[in-house]
Amino acid sequence: MTRQEAALSLGVRESPAPGKVREAHRRVMVANHPDAGGNHYLASYINEAKDVMLGKTKNSGSAF
Amino acid sequence: MAAKILANLIVMGSGILIRGMVQAYRQALQNASKTGVAQETLQNAVRRGSKAMTEQEARQILGVTEQSSWEEIAKKYDTLFERNATNGSFYLQSKVHRAKECLESVYQKNQPGDPSV
Repeated sequence: MTRQEAALSLGVRESPAPGKVREAHRRVMVANHPDAGGNHYLASYINEAKDVMLGKTKNSGSAF
Repeated sequence: MAAKILANLIVMGSGILIRGMVQAYRQALQNASKTGVAQETLQNAVRRGSKAMTEQEARQILGVTEQSSWEEIAKKYDTLFERNATNGSFYLQSKVHRAKECLESVYQKNQPGDPSV
């Protein structure tokens, strides 16, 4: 996943203010949670988007 | 005489500059292929070229299996679309919509008339 895609998925800027990513991740995750009409594919997609935005993973070698 | 020397210098200089630039470009390409940037760009280009998402990806996004009926898909789509409209992200909402469009065409091919329900 590219950083641009991750930012779009979470609905934040590509260089968001600190705390914005976690807040956005929480909001989007609540909307797509597997327990409430969502599914695991979208949940893991959102988690990966968060990791990309927080710089926890490298952009290459992604399954998406 | 001076003009001749000056012209010679300019021609030689520009030749060296062009050769250097070509080498730099080649090196940049090599670096890009090593880090996988070029491959990702290529993949993106291919994906953008084909435009449509695969049926498998569409099913994963909506969380349905091969055996799911169209009603089930429509229900899941409505839920996901609504939830992402109220407090999700626009990008995921459009992904959900594309997934439904993709599956719609698949189901239309199999049973004409059914997806219009």
